[in-house]
Amino acid sequence: MSSTNEIRKGVVIRHQNDLFVVVEFQHINPGKGAAFVRTRMKSLAAGKVVEITYKVGESVDIVEVEFQTMQYLYKNGANYVFMNMNDYEQVEMNGDLIGDEAKYLKEGIEVIVGLFEEVPVSVQLPKKITYKVVEAPPAVKGDSASGNVTKEITLDNGLKIQAPIFIKEGEEILVNIETGEYSARA
Amino acid sequence: MTTVNFFKSSRDLSGWFCCNLHMSTWLDLKDNPRLKGIYDTRLKIIKSIREFFWSQDFLETDTPIAARYPGQEPYLNPMRTQIHNPSGAAFDFFLHTSPEFAMKKLLAAGYKKIFQICHCFRDEEEFGGRHNPEFTMIEWYRAPGELLEIADDTENLFKYLGEKLGVKKINYKDFKIDISGEWDRKSMKEIWKIFINVNLDDYLEIEKIKILVKERGFAVCENDAYEDLFYKIFLNEIEPKLGLEKPIFIYDYPAQMCSLSRLCDNDKRYAERFELYFGGLELANAFGELTDAECQSRRLNEDKKLREKLGKQSYPVDKDFINALKSGVPAGENYSKKAAGIALGVDRVVLLFSGAKDINETIFQSAKDQTEFDE
Repeated sequence: MSSTNEIRKGVVIRHQNDLFVVVEFQHINPGKGAAFVRTRMKSLAAGKVVEITYKVGESVDIVEVEFQTMQYLYKNGANYVFMNMNDYEQVEMNGDLIGDEAKYLKEGIEVIVGLFEEVPVSVQLPKKITYKVVEAPPAVKGDSASGNVTKEITLDNGLKIQAPIFIKEGEEILVNIETGEYSARA
Repeated sequence: MTTVNFFKSSRDLSGWFCCNLHMSTWLDLKDNPRLKGIYDTRLKIIKSIREFFWSQDFLETDTPIAARYPGQEPYLNPMRTQIHNPSGAAFDFFLHTSPEFAMKKLLAAGYKKIFQICHCFRDEEEFGGRHNPEFTMIEWYRAPGELLEIADDTENLFKYLGEKLGVKKINYKDFKIDISGEWDRKSMKEIWKIFINVNLDDYLEIEKIKILVKERGFAVCENDAYEDLFYKIFLNEIEPKLGLEKPIFIYDYPAQMCSLSRLCDNDKRYAERFELYFGGLELANAFGELTDAECQSRRLNEDKKLREKLGKQSYPVDKDFINALKSGVPAGENYSKKAAGIALGVDRVVLLFSGAKDINETIFQSAKDQTEFDE
């Protein structure tokens, strides 16, 4: 058994005989009492999301997961394909399990994949990823005056985001993966 | 093989991801209109809170942030600092976790309606999410005053902020929370009946609630206090459902969780305390204040002992605070009249009104922003 201090994004917890991967966690101090950890976890079998709150210090059944640096290759139907850069072994993971962050994947980027009994259960992306801007409408004179300080641009993996009007086609930019927003020029 | 051992190196993992990219919030404010909008909302909310309380004849007080004797809450961690006089003698001080003691001393000095917006500090709290170790709090007190009046003040304050910001419904998570109509007010006992069909009266003793916690499938540890067991049920089965359509005040907490509040006149098994919830998020904690000096001194000394047992920093109970209660709060009244007060998290208010995704987005240079800059 492990302690609640080891709860992190991507760890796998056995709860009432089912396995769940932690997608979000937060320490909370209700009122003025002891601290608790609230987790949002996704069932590895059913994909359903549950919220479970543990008292800090309570023992939690965390199962051992191996973390590997892998490269994202391509999308295969509903699955995403990753390659272990040491032995060139490939693994596939369903988009539902990756969740919303799947849209930030871009060919060739390095991610950390969590493997439970050799089956991928979680993917952690870098905090910021560099993309090339493939489409950006030119800024129109008077944009700033009318309050239009951002515009929609398209990135080299097809993702569309809002960016400042000074961003041009062909430039490389950094996107903050936590918020999905423009962060800076690369 | 570049296998990362997760259990040893979660810190290394985050470092792996950082790639020397610096967060600098001023740049975010400059380039990201959404974040600029959130910060603008913050400034407007702070101004409007002041306007509201001044218009209600409250006085804005100002008390030290560095305190010699902070509160004794067993699970809070005040940040210790040392101050030296010119000859080099060192004095231990603590950054306050709340201005509560100092403001109650002002009530003893004769102030009747006071408010204060200030930064508070709690060590070992989450960097982001719903917490930052340095956060902004508003506290206000009425002496004489009733808990019910504090609830009315709170509701009126949010409605005033809603008018100033043009917001009737707050979008939080997937909820649209209507702040413009009448808010919900329910006792803890009613809430347990509604959501889990349990009569809380039957579970006010530790041995009894222990059985209920096990029955409902939660772990019971040997050292669990009553409130730990209570929260295992409350946090899992009740809190996430509170205030989804309109804000709700939950009042009358079991006496075991009285903290600095007085026990209810009509039922001593419960204490005069309420918390305010929006979409499962706790915003404020209020007390019908415990003004009995002897009882307060006893409770603080018990909390101090518990702190020592838990291995927390130990410091003396603030005797000046006990003396202030002895002289009477409200001033000169010997427990004959009540006093009430509340602490409300300003960053969380900004989070709700601005639609920020994380508390860090409501704070200029949060602990996370500043520490990530170092990496």
